[in-house]
Amino acid sequence: MESASVASGSGGPVEVVDKGLKKNAISFVSNIVIGVASTAPGYSLAATLGFVVAIGGIGLQAPAVMLVAFIPMFCIAMAYNYMNRADPDCGTTFSWVTRAIGPRSGWMGGWAIIVADIIVMANLAQIAGIYSFKLFDWNSAANSTFAVTLVGVLWIVVMTAICYIGIELSARTQQFLLGAEVITLVVFAVVALVKVYADAPAHSIEPALSWINPFEISSFSALADGMLLAVFIYWGWDSGVTVNEETEDSSTAPGRAAVISTIILLAIYALVSIAAQAYAGPAALIKAQNDVFSGGLASSVLGSPLDKLLIIAVLTSASASTQTTILPTARTSLSMARQKAFPAVFGRIHPRYLSPSVSTLTMGALSIVWYIAIVNLSTNVLADSITALGFSIAFYYGITGFACAFYYRRELFKSAKNLFFAGFLPVLGGLILFGIFVKAFLDYRKADCCTSKAILGIGPPVAIGIGALLLGVVIMIIAHWPYREFFRRKPEVADPSVLAESAPAASGGGGS
Amino acid sequence: MEDIILGYDGSDCAKAALALATETAKAMGDRVVVVWTIEAHHTGGEVKDYEDALKEMGERVTAEGAEVAAAAGVETERLLVHGDSPASALSELADERKARVIVVGTHGESPLKGALIGSTPHKLIQLARTPVLVVPAPS
Repeated sequence: MESASVASGSGGPVEVVDKGLKKNAISFVSNIVIGVASTAPGYSLAATLGFVVAIGGIGLQAPAVMLVAFIPMFCIAMAYNYMNRADPDCGTTFSWVTRAIGPRSGWMGGWAIIVADIIVMANLAQIAGIYSFKLFDWNSAANSTFAVTLVGVLWIVVMTAICYIGIELSARTQQFLLGAEVITLVVFAVVALVKVYADAPAHSIEPALSWINPFEISSFSALADGMLLAVFIYWGWDSGVTVNEETEDSSTAPGRAAVISTIILLAIYALVSIAAQAYAGPAALIKAQNDVFSGGLASSVLGSPLDKLLIIAVLTSASASTQTTILPTARTSLSMARQKAFPAVFGRIHPRYLSPSVSTLTMGALSIVWYIAIVNLSTNVLADSITALGFSIAFYYGITGFACAFYYRRELFKSAKNLFFAGFLPVLGGLILFGIFVKAFLDYRKADCCTSKAILGIGPPVAIGIGALLLGVVIMIIAHWPYREFFRRKPEVADPSVLAESAPAASGGGGS
Repeated sequence: MEDIILGYDGSDCAKAALALATETAKAMGDRVVVVWTIEAHHTGGEVKDYEDALKEMGERVTAEGAEVAAAAGVETERLLVHGDSPASALSELADERKARVIVVGTHGESPLKGALIGSTPHKLIQLARTPVLVVPAPS
């Protein structure tokens, strides 16, 4: 940075320039694509749909849960949008919360991201394993825990290696893969619905408007438990929000792209969950929890060999999701290391591949250890860990919402716009997520909450989800000793100039 | 005086490329532009700290490279270039400077490995409108 540090005659000061950035290729559309692809609709549905339907009291209202889960997500999208504007390059939850609320909350936000990453990797690996075998109709292998785990571990190894070597899918490749995934899902849904009305297959039910009415859900408990699962399906769009330096107008475009990508997701989730439920009925979805699409639904709706398209869509979706899980998480731990809140080796960069080497490999290794450990416990626990993941996501998204309003507290009352978009919506999102967190905690802590056996007398989702966060608290307290400087950091307040000009990105934000 | 654009990452083959670029610059009376490229990212996370880390690395590596060229009595310049890919960044820079030649090292990998992990010389040869000189690492 400082030219003075460079010896004279050796090139003088170093200059930083932009070259070869294809402004048009990495445009608004690409940002939307990245937001949707990172959320991985195909994989998200495969991993959650059966479980949401299975929650006692949800009944036929699973599509409603998918829609309602969008509300806190939309609110938090506003928080991301506004925090992003404060400093378009600043980071995500870890950096923002550290700035706005303080180092302890920020550290815990970063920890929650890492925990969520490790837990989801095990689940992704499992789905990748099962669907890989189903692609070749090798059902005996798909039912063998050993075979699936083996492929799952290989999956994590390959995905970690790809991130380590620093290969990122180009915007064009992502557009193609996502386009194929979305078209496949829509074709599946349309064919399923046509068959429901035309042939009325066994167990099929004609969709009713009440399916998307959350007030038909029998209890608040059922809604909260379902939403803890369903927030997961929108998880990942933050990857799109935080990629910004390539877009022409970096202070607003990523936010708007995030909002549009969320609306696209909403449509896909509503359509596919309604179609799947109408075609097969809830009982079949619950029975095939672990492989909703490959367990007969795809072949029955689309017929062979077209059903394989849906399996391929879930697999490409899972690979996109793996990448958008490892890369941002490795950058979070790298960021924590550089801000002296985490061991310095996590800040190491590979000299040739230029990836966060130690961060990436550690995430991969921990994911494998966790995956093998949890599969040995039981595959039911693995399934329940998706619920555990919800606690981490609700925590770090929620705290980001509060951080946004707190960071802009002196600007909120300067205009109605500020108050609504930077204050009210983020806080509302935070409150909903924390509310779900508490309610789901009370339900899932019961030993008999779930399909899997209790861990230490506590329901597995709470034992894993809350256990991991508490472990974080312990490590954070210990970390005060080596990382004293970081934990002494004082929070900041937003610079008034940030919101002074430019209209907010989210006008007419009424999707819910 | 014309520019010789050197894509430099401090690896063995990059050092070989540096030596050849320096020699050529001396003979032609050219300047060596030592370039470190930073690729744009399509996925998020805490990109800021990551890019800072890459810039620091580029700062250090280009200084080392420029020092070698300067010690040989050649005029040098250092650049950190932010681009879609190293190849597109180097070729665009060369266009803009109307450079004499782009010099890069090659790790000498098999075509398959190059295709898998991404080979800058290959892409550069396809993209560049400037002559490209590819230098292998000393065996």
